[in-house]
Amino acid sequence: MADDASSSSGCTGNLVDNSINQDELIMKQQREIEKEISESIPLVGELEAISSLEKEYNEDPVYLLKVKDLASKYKYMRRTRPDGNCFFRAFSYAYLEYLLTDKAEYEKFFEIAKNSKEILLALGFSQFTVEDFYETFMEVVQRVGEQAGGAADGMEPIRAELHDKFNKQGYSDYIVVYLRLVTSGQLQTQHDFYQNFIEGPRTVTEFCRQEVEPMYKESDHIHIIALSNALNVGVRVEYMDRGEGSQVIAHVFPEGAKPLVQLLYRPGHYDILYA
Amino acid sequence: MADMGEKYNTKCPGVKRLMREAMELAEATEEYCARPLEDNLFEWHFTVKGPKGTDFEGGIYHGRILLPKEYPMHPPHIILLTPNGRFEVNKKICLSISGHHPETWQPSWSIRTALLALIAFMPTPAEGTIGSLDYTPAERKVLAKKSVTWSCPLCGDTAALLSSTAAKPITEEEQSVLNQIAFKGEEEQAAKPPEEPAAQEVQPQVLESTEPSTGFLDQLTEVLVALLVGAIGIFIYRRWNAHYSSAETEL
Repeated sequence: MADDASSSSGCTGNLVDNSINQDELIMKQQREIEKEISESIPLVGELEAISSLEKEYNEDPVYLLKVKDLASKYKYMRRTRPDGNCFFRAFSYAYLEYLLTDKAEYEKFFEIAKNSKEILLALGFSQFTVEDFYETFMEVVQRVGEQAGGAADGMEPIRAELHDKFNKQGYSDYIVVYLRLVTSGQLQTQHDFYQNFIEGPRTVTEFCRQEVEPMYKESDHIHIIALSNALNVGVRVEYMDRGEGSQVIAHVFPEGAKPLVQLLYRPGHYDILYA
Repeated sequence: MADMGEKYNTKCPGVKRLMREAMELAEATEEYCARPLEDNLFEWHFTVKGPKGTDFEGGIYHGRILLPKEYPMHPPHIILLTPNGRFEVNKKICLSISGHHPETWQPSWSIRTALLALIAFMPTPAEGTIGSLDYTPAERKVLAKKSVTWSCPLCGDTAALLSSTAAKPITEEEQSVLNQIAFKGEEEQAAKPPEEPAAQEVQPQVLESTEPSTGFLDQLTEVLVALLVGAIGIFIYRRWNAHYSSAETEL
């Protein structure tokens, strides 16, 4: 709350300033409540049966139909903390988990990841901070690489290690930051293309600085398209909302790619899906 | 720094990062310098030179940098100690992209970014922002002159802390970032007791539970919470009232 020097909401202004209207106070309170709820959820949760969604929507016929549809395609899910970083966290966790089972894909990814730093430096990002995030990111990637393609029954320790790292705020956030930078790098190097996706008068660089690079900023289509293109990783997103129909709607990014990562999207949030 | 390695968990990315920054900034430059306190990696002292061609030219300004435990995910706070006529002293200010919320701090920025941004931001108009001062050019020039004799109880004579070495040139990307960064004060360290008449009515009942022995900071926090609750109460009351009366007219 107010005495927490590190609180990101600590700078929003004078709590007792007469000029701040009460709507803003309520919103601030709301944000704090959301933050508290959010922090009680693990960064990345344990594997759960899809049926756990049914309980969540017990009295909601629209969603129940869609959960049923989802359950016909997926067996399990893994929830992520709704802190605005969920797309990046869900994506990286699911992809690294997949890489454990596919050595060839790992080798391909390793090259892309290794080159990603140079792209960022060429764009003028500060070398020592980029290196800081890059090194932590690669440390985790390489741990996966050491075990990638190994026997399935020997994977438990590395899976546990991955899970542990993703739930340690330090590591987990560093991975998110690095993927945000990679996303920003992709948007900026291909700015002519991505400019079309940005509404309003913002340039791609401004968009990156305001919506991509800062932590806790939620991801939109443009983030997913840019990251999946930058890393050449297919992502399937199942959209579940209050829209018409009884089925969830799937999108694959980039279009036509073979999806290696499956995510569930519910308004404002991404979780991981498993077939 | 060797001590720091023993004291902190260097496996922790935030600690590793700050140690890196300490190395990066180890050598003082003619424009800025900063280093962690001997016994606390999360508090630094810095010195910056007033930008040329402004009221601050010739000034040497010293201050503290407080790093949150989530650094670099959350921004550092800066506290100026040398009277300067642009920012209040002994008051936390934090940086954000102009016109945006402080959440726009980016983990790839660093203490160097913060210092460069501070130097660049000094000559901008105060415009009544919290933590800002709107002294006249003449007053600022006097303070600039005085500042060179200012001494920090921890660091000593601050004018001696800068060196004659040129700082690493600012890259194009950095410059475009610096142009966007703004500094703003926050109220947590407000020295004055808060005084909002509307909310004070609610204070007593909420403060009943306050024990007289509670520390000042705790009390301040409670007052802030009380004001918040009060304001929300009034808001809900008003809304409810508005709703109620409009419902009545409909009937």
